[in-house]
Amino acid sequence: MKRLIRIGLIPLLLAGLSFPSAASQTDPQGSLMWDYMRKLFLNDDPYLFDERIKVLVPEFAEDPTQVPVSVDARALDGDIRQIIAWADFNPIQHIFTYRPLRDVHPRLSLRIKVQQATPIRAAVQTMDGTWHVGTAQIDAAGGGCTTPSVGNADPYWESHLGEISSRRFSRDFGSRYKFKVIHPMDTGLVDLIPEFYLQQVTLKDEAGNELLQMDLSQPVSENPVLTFDTKNSDQSHYLLLRDNNGNEFEQAL
Amino acid sequence: MANPTIKCLFSAAVLASAVLGGVKVTAAAPLQYNLQPQEIARDTWLLQGKTEDFSRKNGGNIVNTAFIVTKDGVVVFDTGPSFRYGRALRQAIASVTDKPVVHVFNSHHHPDHFLGNQAFQDSTIWSLPETGKQLALHGNGFTDNMYRLVGDWMRDTEMRLPDKPISEAMMSQGLEMGAHRLQFYRFSGHTGSDLVMLDKTTGVLFASDMLFFQRMLTTPHTPGLDIWRQELDKLKAMKYRKVVPGHGPVTEGSAAIDQMRDYLSWLDQRLKKSAEQGLEMVEVINLPVDERFKGISLSQAEYRRSVVHLYPAYEDAQF
Repeated sequence: MKRLIRIGLIPLLLAGLSFPSAASQTDPQGSLMWDYMRKLFLNDDPYLFDERIKVLVPEFAEDPTQVPVSVDARALDGDIRQIIAWADFNPIQHIFTYRPLRDVHPRLSLRIKVQQATPIRAAVQTMDGTWHVGTAQIDAAGGGCTTPSVGNADPYWESHLGEISSRRFSRDFGSRYKFKVIHPMDTGLVDLIPEFYLQQVTLKDEAGNELLQMDLSQPVSENPVLTFDTKNSDQSHYLLLRDNNGNEFEQAL
Repeated sequence: MANPTIKCLFSAAVLASAVLGGVKVTAAAPLQYNLQPQEIARDTWLLQGKTEDFSRKNGGNIVNTAFIVTKDGVVVFDTGPSFRYGRALRQAIASVTDKPVVHVFNSHHHPDHFLGNQAFQDSTIWSLPETGKQLALHGNGFTDNMYRLVGDWMRDTEMRLPDKPISEAMMSQGLEMGAHRLQFYRFSGHTGSDLVMLDKTTGVLFASDMLFFQRMLTTPHTPGLDIWRQELDKLKAMKYRKVVPGHGPVTEGSAAIDQMRDYLSWLDQRLKKSAEQGLEMVEVINLPVDERFKGISLSQAEYRRSVVHLYPAYEDAQF
């Protein structure tokens, strides 16, 4: 207990920041898994729960294979090294790691599979190494990770693997990219179906500068739909994807 | 005003009986549906469910079931959410008539409409052919989910499939039972296979879940809002005196149909506009329903569910 308090105080003192009063080291969800997950993903680094990190999910996983999740870390824009998201009670906990590099708003959305009711976490690491954790609870009837992908019963994906549909929307903050990739995103947890999923996502501008990098894990839903927000509305971008079988996909957006 | 003295005496009596023999007993409320049949037309009885969501308090009694008493026997339209409900429905029927239950209809494959089937072993249970196939595929999953949602009310409930698909001949000719002429219609807006029954003798239209009234509609298996809307127009054009929705109060006239149609059009536009603006699913879920729907039970909760069911198709249309 003493050690926990010390970890919490160090970043507060060093950074000289005044965190909102809601910031604390007590897991708002009271999850049994918190300490284990924290050590796994945050390496015992200093952390605090921070209400400014928004994790938006519906209250109930209506379809446990397609649960929408939005993470909004704009409150810490400009000071973000990476964002790691996970679900405490999924058999594979890690969902994604996101690194904003330039010209993006640190806000993204995607859909995931959940195996049972679980907290969903988004830990945002600032440049000083501290993790600011946003959290939300989702209730579920369960089974999302051990249900075969729809694609497994339908050979459509075999001839359309990696096909990317995309659309750019003009928004007051710049542009929003929404895209959908045809990919089964098999978790490896279903009988005799090996894991097969997109692992890397990179968004680049025309000059080849990377705007963001993202590592995905198996809980990302089949045929992923991802949303990113960029600050510029006048540039064109392209998207690079790679899956765990080494397939690479590229698309001008 | 409740009489406080009587209330106190009652509590004392309950306490006394609870500590009898030195053992403290915490008694759970008995799980009873207390179905009260209301006569809504000649020979026609309704068991009206609450306009709520499934809960351990209501035992899943959120659904309307009905029966018609004829001189040739009783016709039942939907059997409720559990075996226990099915037995309570039989008791309700027995309180009105001693005629046997001859025909039972399952309007569609949602669990609150067929899980009382076990109580009707001595009747013929009918459904649309497609409903039978949907039940064979998903019925057990729905049953498990009902145990999760309402708990012990479900005890001993197992899916009992309908015995027979309604034949083409029965669809076209209808069914004569005593003085009642029953006509059947195949719709699809709510689940892809939705049975509607019209009693031409009394003018009562049993609309099943094609129609919700004062309780927000659900969309997990709709083939599309446009299809549902078109079919509501057909329903409105039918000749009836009273309409029994799957959920909510009985009405005369078209108030229920108009309310549904208005909402379906509004929802379609909401989803379309949101997709055009590039909104993410959670953003759409967090938008409020229009003011005019706020008086409908569960409007915001069911709106949120509907976004999850329907929004991906609207997003796809934008790519």
